[in-house]
Amino acid sequence: MSIATTVHGEHPAEHYPGGLLRWLTTTNHKDIGTMYLLFSLVMFFVGGLMILLVRAELFQPGLQLMKPEFFNQLIGVHALVMIFAALMPAATGFANWMIPLMIGAPDMALPRLNNWGFWLLPPAATLLTLPFVLALFGVGDGAIATGWTFYAPLSVQGGLGVDFAILAVHILGISSIMGSINIIVTIFNMRAPGMTMMKLPLFAWGWLITAFLLIATLPVLAGAVTMLLTDRHFGTHFFDAAGGGDPILFQHLFWFFGHPEVYILLLPVWGLMPHVLATFSRKPTYGYTAQVYGFIAIGLLSVIVWAHHFFTVGMPVPALIYFMFSTMAISVPLAVLFFCWIATMWKGSMTFETPMLFAVGFIVLFGIAGLTGLVLADVAADAQYHHSYFVVAHFHYALFAGGIMGVMTGVYYWLPKWTGHMYSERLGKLHFWLTVVSFNLTFIPQFFLGLAGMPRRIPDYALQFAEFNAISTVGAFILGISQLLFAWNIWSCVRGGPKAEARAWEGAEGLEWELSSPPPHHSWETQPVVK
Amino acid sequence: MTESFSAEDLARRRAASRRLGWAIGLAVLALYILGFFIKR
Repeated sequence: MSIATTVHGEHPAEHYPGGLLRWLTTTNHKDIGTMYLLFSLVMFFVGGLMILLVRAELFQPGLQLMKPEFFNQLIGVHALVMIFAALMPAATGFANWMIPLMIGAPDMALPRLNNWGFWLLPPAATLLTLPFVLALFGVGDGAIATGWTFYAPLSVQGGLGVDFAILAVHILGISSIMGSINIIVTIFNMRAPGMTMMKLPLFAWGWLITAFLLIATLPVLAGAVTMLLTDRHFGTHFFDAAGGGDPILFQHLFWFFGHPEVYILLLPVWGLMPHVLATFSRKPTYGYTAQVYGFIAIGLLSVIVWAHHFFTVGMPVPALIYFMFSTMAISVPLAVLFFCWIATMWKGSMTFETPMLFAVGFIVLFGIAGLTGLVLADVAADAQYHHSYFVVAHFHYALFAGGIMGVMTGVYYWLPKWTGHMYSERLGKLHFWLTVVSFNLTFIPQFFLGLAGMPRRIPDYALQFAEFNAISTVGAFILGISQLLFAWNIWSCVRGGPKAEARAWEGAEGLEWELSSPPPHHSWETQPVVK
Repeated sequence: MTESFSAEDLARRRAASRRLGWAIGLAVLALYILGFFIKR
């Protein structure tokens, strides 16, 4: 792809409100992207603090610090915060910042919808966490204690926190649907001349599939939790066996959303990886078309495999076999992606700046998530692993090593573009090594705990599990504290540092690197032409 | 050769985006509402 480049200066008539009003009323994709990313960072620390309390409780057997009810609340809200308020907004922040720059659009197609989509998030996050505060004043019995899955009948019988979480999930869902609509219509209608769909940057492709998955599955989640709400307060019995309902129906509805949600969190990262790997290998991306079809195949497969999350519930054998093989089939397009990532690096002039370190770390650790996922997809083996710490370790390799480390890759890669400054490479590398070592220290023991039979979501455990739990807790605290380096590095980079050039990385290719760093407030007012 | 985004071109692109946005939004709403009428 060659680009007829343009030189961009500041817009002569650039004016916008200052102070708080700018952020409340902004329709600029970069401002909104920044708000999403900041919100995500804050909620990452909120969710992280919750799980550090959980890990502190699990440091030793017996109940040390909290009652089991509070322990359950922390686990459930940690997951909801990390998924809906940290990872998803981070990916949406990336999309807002980068998709218009990458496709040569002056802004997102629907800028006011964009503003609205963001400002729904803070109230929703408040609703999720408010029951903790209310309980301190004697109102209600705390936050949702069902885990992030809201399983009935526990959620039907739960306290005030369930209602708050149901409302929060509705609002978060509306926000995500607004964001998805905006991304789809922006990619379809705002591309620069010459940018055909098969020249679209892979990050935009990853997000396009993500947006369609959100559109297809969020209404089902919203429907399920609305039905839960009516079961709780309006006398319906959708999920109440005593009234002719079926609690298993809730699991089907939830996981019809919940499994694609995994790919919703990961597809933007998979889209970003080829850019980083190509940049620091100084080679073109290997297998562009294969990766596009890989994204599409994974998107399609992700909506037909949901029941592997509850193999043990008692399904007919043909259903078990169908869900086992369809789940395993996902490994085929995923292996294509892994192959393309590795082939992109093959014989490249590789250098290992922080984004590349995170990208390579992502490939290795996310590979472990994939392999342990295959183990869990085996219906016979799953009977042993189900609801154990093996599952917890597996999905943290997917969502921390795959999701959060992927987000960190993107932050380090694009931070010079966003801020106009280079971050501290020394601090970035220290952050990477501390993160990788402490992450493995936290979660490798959890594989063994799970294999030995330790169930998840239990605040106490048998003595035989004590050593692995102690190691895991030490790892978790190092992991949590080392993220302060990440925040500090971002803060320092925003405030100053060596000036970043338009093409901040020597090997970077794409429209976004033609603009100055940071880009002008109104980017691409002059249409780029992609040849 | 590059040229500025004309006001007409941007308006046309944004109008098309609004139409598609409404169509997707209505599809989401239909999916949400129809779900309540599915019988097992």
